[in-house]
Amino acid sequence: MSEKSFFVDIDCFQQKKHGQNAFGDCFKSKRFTDEGRLLAVLSDGLGSGIKANILATMTATMILKFIEDGKDILKATEVIMNSLPVCQVRKISYSTFSAFECSDEGEIKIVEEGNPDFIHIRNGRLVEHTPRIVTSKKFTNRHMHLYNFKLEPEDRLIFCSDGVTQAGMGTDEYKLGWRREGLIEFVESEIKRDPSISSRHLAMEIVKESIRKEPDHQSKDDVSALVLYFRKPRKLLIFTGPPYRQDRDAEYSKIFDDFDGRKAIVGGTTANLIARELGREITTEKYNKGMLPACSHMDGVDLITEGILTLTKVLEYLNEGYDRWPDDAAGRLIELLLDSDVINFMIGSKLNQAHYDPDLPLELEIRKNVVKQLEKILSGRYIKKVNLKFI
Amino acid sequence: MADEKILLELCFGTTCFVMGASKLQEIESIIPPQYKNKVEVKAHTCLDLCKNSTYMKAPFVKLDGEIISEATVEKILKAIERKIDG
Ligand code: FES
Repeated sequence: MSEKSFFVDIDCFQQKKHGQNAFGDCFKSKRFTDEGRLLAVLSDGLGSGIKANILATMTATMILKFIEDGKDILKATEVIMNSLPVCQVRKISYSTFSAFECSDEGEIKIVEEGNPDFIHIRNGRLVEHTPRIVTSKKFTNRHMHLYNFKLEPEDRLIFCSDGVTQAGMGTDEYKLGWRREGLIEFVESEIKRDPSISSRHLAMEIVKESIRKEPDHQSKDDVSALVLYFRKPRKLLIFTGPPYRQDRDAEYSKIFDDFDGRKAIVGGTTANLIARELGREITTEKYNKGMLPACSHMDGVDLITEGILTLTKVLEYLNEGYDRWPDDAAGRLIELLLDSDVINFMIGSKLNQAHYDPDLPLELEIRKNVVKQLEKILSGRYIKKVNLKFI
Repeated sequence: MADEKILLELCFGTTCFVMGASKLQEIESIIPPQYKNKVEVKAHTCLDLCKNSTYMKAPFVKLDGEIISEATVEKILKAIERKIDG
């Protein structure tokens, strides 16, 4: 990723209709890191429960697959619009959708059919766009709204299912529901309150707020909010292991110190080396947590942990997947990793004499391999951009 | 030696931790009452002793600068006793 490029932070939060056991809305996305583009679809299936779930999932999966296979987003969605059946009873479409394709440069193409119009917030205010409308040749009541524009840094887009805009409908206060106007007002105030709010949190707040509009705080429909935040990437640098050549300790410590982003040191010897080179003090917490050595602290560094045992645990936790990461050094490192978009590892290649003690398990010799496996899972499952540098 | 405390330094580096230092953190709560306020406990990322083959074996602790290798809770308590009671 070049220094100039931005990061497309997207996340979706959903709530099922109260009493149903399946989501009737479906969100799917795919990031192509090498090409610097991202596809996402939010689809709302007719009705609720398992039937709606199948319709929505089918629609979202097909759109994503078509675009992925190289079809233009307009072509792909048009095929879907023309082929989705109509409900025999209610004579309306089986599912509605919003789909978009966005590049790392912020070029975005959006297609919407039936979902509430997306909301574009720039500098805390609403930006309105006029769509180009394409009507289905087969079903004249189906219209696709097309948009094509360029995002600016710090722009946000909000997509939602009608469960959000119709929340509270029929109540005294919201006869016609919360509506798009209510949602816009809410989003503006949330961004004002926390200008760097992540997509995940904003999506969550929107869904929670819309459910609060219901008299008994129970969702009457499936509720989904999808947020896109075009922002500077959050960068993390992890220094692990002493450099191969000791005469370059100073140079690498300086690179580490000058890094513009968050920093972590993984390894006791590495921490000592950096402290020495930068003339700083390290303090170590007195109590180990879980099965791992305690964390340490130094000015200008966000996290310091022990090395190979902690890295191995991080890998193990990521592979297992948790709702809440354990409260130990590995859990803290994971929080930092997952809160970053671009993760750089500086991996020192100096052999640590201590680890050749035959009493110690082989595991201790394989820092490089552990980092390589971490790279795989972070870039694969967690869609992070990971760079490795062996020093 | 009224306020003079002796300094006990633990090592939580990989080598020491694996070789048993993980069990040494309890030491603070085990130190008998008569010595308790005479000992200050500090932890380190690595005491840099594990790289040096002239030292014996991990886990290492330092008691007022003096290296104790293959440290155990018992060994440390004995050393504290010796140090304070002379
Ligand atoms: S790990 Fe204890 S001295 Fe290095």
